[in-house]
Amino acid sequence: MIKSVSSLRSLAPVLIVLLLLALVPLFSPSNRFLSLAISAGINIIALYGLSVLFGQTGILSMGHTALVGVGAYTAALLARDFDIGFWVSIPVAGIMAAIVAAIIGIPSLRVSGHHFVIMTFAFGQLMTIILTNGGDYTGGASGLDMGKPVTMFGADLDALPRFYLLVVAFVTISAVASWAIINSSYGRTLRAIRENEKLAAALGINVGRHKIGAFIVSGVFAGVSGVLLAYFLRHISPGQFASFPSIYLALMVMIGGARLLLGPLAGGILVSFLPEVLNLDPVQSRILYGVCLIAVILFLPNGLIAGIADGWTWLAKMSKRTPAAGNVPEAGR
Amino acid sequence: MDILLQQLLNGLSIASVITLIAVGVTLIFGLTGIINFAHGEFLMVGSIVTWLAVSNGIAFPLALILGVLAVALMGFVLERIIFRFTLERPTNGFIVSLGLIVVLQHIVILFWNANQKSIPRPLTTVWEIGGVRIASVRVMVILMTIAVVAMTYVMITRSRYGRALRASVEDRDTAALMGIPVRRYITGVFVLGSALAGLAGGLLIALFPITPFTGGTMVMKGFAVALIGGLGNLSGAVAAGLILGIVEGLSAGYGFSEWTDAYSFGLMILVLLFRPHGLFGGTSGPKMA
Repeated sequence: MIKSVSSLRSLAPVLIVLLLLALVPLFSPSNRFLSLAISAGINIIALYGLSVLFGQTGILSMGHTALVGVGAYTAALLARDFDIGFWVSIPVAGIMAAIVAAIIGIPSLRVSGHHFVIMTFAFGQLMTIILTNGGDYTGGASGLDMGKPVTMFGADLDALPRFYLLVVAFVTISAVASWAIINSSYGRTLRAIRENEKLAAALGINVGRHKIGAFIVSGVFAGVSGVLLAYFLRHISPGQFASFPSIYLALMVMIGGARLLLGPLAGGILVSFLPEVLNLDPVQSRILYGVCLIAVILFLPNGLIAGIADGWTWLAKMSKRTPAAGNVPEAGR
Repeated sequence: MDILLQQLLNGLSIASVITLIAVGVTLIFGLTGIINFAHGEFLMVGSIVTWLAVSNGIAFPLALILGVLAVALMGFVLERIIFRFTLERPTNGFIVSLGLIVVLQHIVILFWNANQKSIPRPLTTVWEIGGVRIASVRVMVILMTIAVVAMTYVMITRSRYGRALRASVEDRDTAALMGIPVRRYITGVFVLGSALAGLAGGLLIALFPITPFTGGTMVMKGFAVALIGGLGNLSGAVAAGLILGIVEGLSAGYGFSEWTDAYSFGLMILVLLFRPHGLFGGTSGPKMA
């Protein structure tokens, strides 16, 4: 696998942004700012999974928060029943979420297009019902508490600035992982399926298996983000992981743009901080999100960042008097 | 046995509301290929309008009509300013409808808060036949649904407009060549589906208190019914609605009520796995040129 210069160029802006974000605690930000940033970061990790699924493979899942929930409940149950801490929970939750993704994905992907979205939606709702009816084991409707702190080399990472850095580190890992997938031959296979499923199948690509593979990969991201969520919130309940919160994840990934590496990062940050910047209450900000989503789909179907990039290339081309709006090079996506 | 009949009646009255949703979903999907997830929010708006009208002293029948008209108008406006532009790419229509869910829910919360809303029962008579208590309001809901669905069915299978509609579902381009104003039919079906959702909303609030989030569960069940019956298949939707009503009623009667919501989803998943086009066969949406 030869990394071309252009593929490295798509990673660089993300790494620079993340490096700058890692410096934020130096300016002693408020706790409120840090909490917002942490929840944005946890979402962004899940969004990178969704961007592999939706952006690269072209499948939209409404069960993504359910997979985040698998991660969160895995972490909470491991801590409660086996006294297992954060660092072991991460891989275990990733594997658990991948298994559940496979259980959901194998039947769901037998049906195509719209039906798939509705299937994942139904699985998400089913999971909430199961968690709610799980009795003492899953804590019922009131959920579970997380009693263990996050420690690293004996140091407690629970203070907000430290937890923030931990989240930034995980966001960086997921961005790099997502970049590695996008630029591998596997990523090219997924894009081939997105662009023309029949052609991909005719070229000998096992479409079904790769779709399930992409779904499982997205599940791993969701599981890891769930563990961080459980350790951050200290309390989780089934309602958080129903299908409707998935709409907000889809919205973030669409607003940022699912195909660009910078997309999930931009979408997650924008959606979390826009209400703060514009001083809106939660109800107003949700109306704004919805309107943004509709506007983005109608006017900028590739997301905000891609829209800006398209506009930039268009301007550049206009100055060179080349006709027609250009596209951002595929390698960067 | 008494409890069983009782629960069956309860199940059927809720299934009526769900069937109305499913019929709208199935009609809109059949012609446009758009999966409008915000259909449940249309129902919720119908409930809210009925609630507002009744709280302002308007009689229930008139309030119900107002609810239907308001949602039909909303459907018309949304089709003209949004869904019309997503006809070529139905996936975008679906995503847009997700945005609409969020917008409609929170606009209602913004103006009328998120609390439960209820109206006094429009019919309070309860008949008691052989130990079974039959609430007349439930009977009204069931009868109205039967009447409206039958009317829709006759219109689509018997009338000239229905034939033109089915021709447009079969092949949009050829239908247009035959002089059928397909675009206008699309708008018309969207308005009809919205009106049915508005009616369902008005009937639902006559049965239960609602919240701005009621639409979410209702639309999922509506979709489950539409999918089980086969998307685009009207009689399939009615049959599936009946099945779901009986299953939910029976399970509540035998004490598994906390799992009621799981049946529609579980049933839907099973049906889609083994018969992806539904129990009664559906269309896979309009054929794209």
